[in-house]
Amino acid sequence: MSAVQELFSILLNGLQLGAIFALLGIGLTIILGTMNFLNLAHGALYLIGAYAGMLTMRVVTLRTGILQDYGFTELGLGWGFLAALVIVPTIGFIVGVLMERYVAKPFYKRPHTDQLLVTFGLALVVEELVKQVIGGNTFQSTSPDTLFGLQVSGPIQLPIVGAFPRWRLIIILIAFIVIGLTWLFMEKTDWGMIVKAGTLDSEMVSLLGIRIGRSYALVFGLGAALAAFAGLIGATFETVRPQIGTQRALVPAFLVLVVGGAGSIRGAIVGGVILGTVLAGFQQTFSQWGQIAMYALVALVLVVRPQGVFGSVEVEE
Amino acid sequence: MSTEAEEGGTVGGIDISDSVLIAGNAVALFLLPWVLIDVFGMVGEVIDIAVGGYSGLPSLIIIYGIVVIGYNLLLGYTGMLSFGHAAFFGTGAYVAGVVSGTTGSPLVMILAGTVVATLIAWPIGWISIRRTGVYFAVITLTFGQMLYFWALGPGAWLTNGDDGFSSVQTGQLLGTFELGAPVVGGIEFLSVYTWEYLMIATLAIVALWTANRILNSPYGLIFEALGQNQQRVSFVGLDVSRYKLMAFIISAVFAGAGGALFIIHESYIHPNTAYYWIQSGDFVIMTVLGGAGSLVGPVFGAFIFEYVANVISGVSLPVIGSIGSLWRIVLGGVFVVIIWAFPKGIYPGMRDAVIWIVDRVRNRGGEQG
Repeated sequence: MSAVQELFSILLNGLQLGAIFALLGIGLTIILGTMNFLNLAHGALYLIGAYAGMLTMRVVTLRTGILQDYGFTELGLGWGFLAALVIVPTIGFIVGVLMERYVAKPFYKRPHTDQLLVTFGLALVVEELVKQVIGGNTFQSTSPDTLFGLQVSGPIQLPIVGAFPRWRLIIILIAFIVIGLTWLFMEKTDWGMIVKAGTLDSEMVSLLGIRIGRSYALVFGLGAALAAFAGLIGATFETVRPQIGTQRALVPAFLVLVVGGAGSIRGAIVGGVILGTVLAGFQQTFSQWGQIAMYALVALVLVVRPQGVFGSVEVEE
Repeated sequence: MSTEAEEGGTVGGIDISDSVLIAGNAVALFLLPWVLIDVFGMVGEVIDIAVGGYSGLPSLIIIYGIVVIGYNLLLGYTGMLSFGHAAFFGTGAYVAGVVSGTTGSPLVMILAGTVVATLIAWPIGWISIRRTGVYFAVITLTFGQMLYFWALGPGAWLTNGDDGFSSVQTGQLLGTFELGAPVVGGIEFLSVYTWEYLMIATLAIVALWTANRILNSPYGLIFEALGQNQQRVSFVGLDVSRYKLMAFIISAVFAGAGGALFIIHESYIHPNTAYYWIQSGDFVIMTVLGGAGSLVGPVFGAFIFEYVANVISGVSLPVIGSIGSLWRIVLGGVFVVIIWAFPKGIYPGMRDAVIWIVDRVRNRGGEQG
């Protein structure tokens, strides 16, 4: 593989990893920016999305868990990817709204550390519940063969890069469409305007007669839906097991948050792509050092530019 | 404010001296294996559910107890939430393990593990304390995770990577006492009191005494003041970052010693138990569960955590069946409730309840008299 080819391949893989990081980071950052709430259960939303996606897309055979004890050996709808594309974010949104109402709200006035701790406990509970009910074993990833009659599986010949998995290109495409829609929603609609205004001065927004509580629920639901969507995407190319929430989603989401800057959607996108590219680059060259390099980069950003690449203010401490 | 300042050297609002503290905890540490194994075991026989501890459990509880006594100095007093203390625990363990290849003396292993953990805490702390709040939590987490992935991959020549480090050759204590042997041989009842337990319990008392001394010194008062209002501390003219760094390093000393004891006790360590961030999270849970900001509260938290993890997880109930790995749900649920309802933790909560009852009784006595 020539150097140029290697570079482009790294950039593509980086975009794909980065898209998922960005989806996670955006959810976390808008929740933090709007409600000043730190959600360590964000990984649990990814986990819920991954399982909901897997079970919508196909029927899986259960090997362990409570459901299996009660005689259920098969679980899932088998409706395919397009159905999951609608169902999973909806589930995420509903879970998010409920979380805002019953978990986050009582903690808005409490210190950040309390928020971190209570959501950390919640994350562990969700992970264990999934393990107990559906089973602790690893499920294979599922990706569709065709979408709208077009083939989406198998490799595709790209200029310069050469053979590249077609599905990964589709992932990049879908993820960036969703990211773009989120950005448009937050920047160009009245709803987004209220949310942003609420970030700056929530008291003033309520004084103007706007129900700020509703936009809180909306933002939390949106962030959760994005995390669930990231889980769905993840389930199409990575294995699914109960630990993925804390292993693959939660920590990257926080890294994206600090690199991009709290409360900044643009920062989360750029931060996600930067981290994804660094990770992809090291994984293809010095694979053992990939994760270490990513964490080192985050530590460096925290030291040199604590407000993140695009953040203007630090989170209130 | 006044009640918070009293904490550390007081139990139930009564001042206690060092000697009382040491004697009291020595008695508690002596009773722990007996209560855990014999008393709980008897209860288990009566109710026909195995709730008794096994012989290694008291040591494990105290080892984690030592770690969280130190961790609490950081979280409970200065209010800095670190999600990376596994870095020092794991380093203490690996260094002690590696040293055991040269000399098996347990004291040398503990010393080496503690010293190296302290040495790496210096630069990590120096960088991390530049940030506060969430940023501090994330930056400590990144250091812990860097070590985790190092131990799994590039550092495998030293740590044996994903297979775990098992070549631990712990020798005799002071060259004469076999760690696994009981201190007083021949008596069945005393068989759980091994030299290893004696060593760990002694170190726990040293740890408690040290923490108590620190907290009751002017230095420790500054730690507490930092937790309450950092800005005011700097207005008084004190160098805030110096005290924060010291709090960080001191807590790492305890974590390193705990890690070294852990590998002596278990003779095995894996990157997941050594460095993974969930391990750091477990320290947080133990501390907060027991009661951050009270001297012995976190040890109580370590007891509950390890008891639930090791004993309750094996319990089989009549209706529900085996609890097995449900223990994390139970613990996570308890933790959520504690944060929600009793932010001060179980131990201070119970203490407040006792004080409340005592006050009630006294007041009633006063009315009658």
